[in-house]
Amino acid sequence: MQILQDISQALQQGRKPKVEELVRQALDEGLSPKQILEEGLLDGMGIIGEKFKCNEVFVPEVLVAARAMNAGAALLKPYLTDEDAVNKGTVVLGTVKGDLHDIGKNLVRMMMEGRGLTVIDLGVDIPAERFVDAAVENNADIICCSALLTTTMYEMKNVVDIAVAKGVRDKFKIMVGGAPITDSFCKEIGADRYEVDAASAADAAIDFCSA
Amino acid sequence: MQIKPIKDKWQGTMTDRERFNRQMHYESFDRCFNMEFGYWDENFEQWKMFKDNSVKNNAQADIFFNFDTMKTIGGRIWLNPAFKHEVIAEDETTRTIRNGDGLIAVEEKFSSSIPNYKSSSIVTPGDWKKVKDERMRRDDPERIVNIEALKAQHPEDRDYPLCVDCGSMIGKIRDLLTFEGLAYACYDYPEMVEDMVETCCLLVEDFLEQVLPHFNFDLAGGWEDICFKNGPIVSVDFFKNVVTPRYKRIRKKLDEYGIDIWYTDCDGDVRPILPYFMEGGINCLFPFEVNGCAHPSEVLEEYGKELRIMGGVDKMALGAGKEAIDTYLESLIPLVERGGYIPFCDHRCPPNVKEEDYLYYLDKKEKLFGLK
Repeated sequence: MQILQDISQALQQGRKPKVEELVRQALDEGLSPKQILEEGLLDGMGIIGEKFKCNEVFVPEVLVAARAMNAGAALLKPYLTDEDAVNKGTVVLGTVKGDLHDIGKNLVRMMMEGRGLTVIDLGVDIPAERFVDAAVENNADIICCSALLTTTMYEMKNVVDIAVAKGVRDKFKIMVGGAPITDSFCKEIGADRYEVDAASAADAAIDFCSA
Repeated sequence: MQIKPIKDKWQGTMTDRERFNRQMHYESFDRCFNMEFGYWDENFEQWKMFKDNSVKNNAQADIFFNFDTMKTIGGRIWLNPAFKHEVIAEDETTRTIRNGDGLIAVEEKFSSSIPNYKSSSIVTPGDWKKVKDERMRRDDPERIVNIEALKAQHPEDRDYPLCVDCGSMIGKIRDLLTFEGLAYACYDYPEMVEDMVETCCLLVEDFLEQVLPHFNFDLAGGWEDICFKNGPIVSVDFFKNVVTPRYKRIRKKLDEYGIDIWYTDCDGDVRPILPYFMEGGINCLFPFEVNGCAHPSEVLEEYGKELRIMGGVDKMALGAGKEAIDTYLESLIPLVERGGYIPFCDHRCPPNVKEEDYLYYLDKKEKLFGLK
């Protein structure tokens, strides 16, 4: 449907006012909020994610697209019923203790929300135990830990160890990411998945949640 | 307290200046230029050798390790006056501050890493106009350079390379607006962002016009930090269309005075915008983060001798111990032999690197690239 394609296109261009205008128009035309969300907003964000993975667009384009998506989603929210809600899984996300950096974490949140995942963003400087407790409390599918610094990345191992100590390691997957993180580090600490960028992290989370 | 060097200066047959210029121009040189970018603040508190010898900052560390000398002349090419630095709130581990760029930021009390920037003093064109009128005036008398004082500091017969600061065309604007704020501003107020870039360029040009006729500079330097591990934090089109033309204007001024080497400090994956750095006349990368970008051989191979690199020693290898240090440094031998490449840690050395491994690294570097 053309208007849904237009919403997707405007979102990819980061045109927040246009996305808002088109979402209102689509609602006025009687399209279902769920269809607008899935075939307009999430479609556009998915395309941005793919382009980001392929280095066709970079972080600025992702930020403005996500801003447009959030604006459109806010307009749909009052009309979405519980049945309409798109929840492909629940992720507990945060930057590890001792680390205040949140740009990478925020990108992961945007990409995951753009794929229909529910993200519980704990923020920055999060103690390992809080990741695990939040995952248990929210029956999360995934814990996702971010770190920018070589000095804080080992806090991720504490998240894994505490999950093991509490006997809940098999309740969720643990994903890790950030500038100093590598796949070998992920394996070394016993986490489940490292991804190189936010869009790939969202893909991996979808894979885990649909497995 | 005077710093007593822990190491002898690497033996050599050339002055630091001669060595630097020959190495960066692919001519024969006695041995590699020996420098490092520096250390986190935590290293000065945690490394025993620094504590025992009262080494408290990077300038003192340069003396302590007896590195080769390079000096820079800079000017007032940014906010003047800066915003008043103030603490707005604090708790046990963090403090919320307004910094000199007017940003509200949360910083760790016990760590020197990059703060978490929360909001900017500039969001709209009106905000920018106020800051520009009050703090970015070209006719500000404090922007006038005291040439004679600088000449006394840097005599013509100096034996070290002298760098002229070419500032920042977009990185400092990122500092003013925040990472996210710059991304949004490029879409919401593109004319405002372009005017900010233009203002930065004019201030640098004004400074260069004052100093270039009076010094025989060996290189130019700048700072952007506009990339992270997934590429640039401004769109490539914006960089190409707005930033690169300003670089070209500065390049033209440098060319008039025979300054051919121009590096810019940019972390992260610079590859998507590297063609536009090069097009603008920046021909040397610093400090070239390996884990966030690539092994330096990759881009040197791609760009040939038009590109130089200073840095490119993977900090992850330094943190991984002696064997990893050996392997990594040995991978750099062809690059040093090629010329146009000066190896050092690809950022400030972090405190997770053991000091005994760091000393091993310095010794190994001398063994491979010195006269020993």
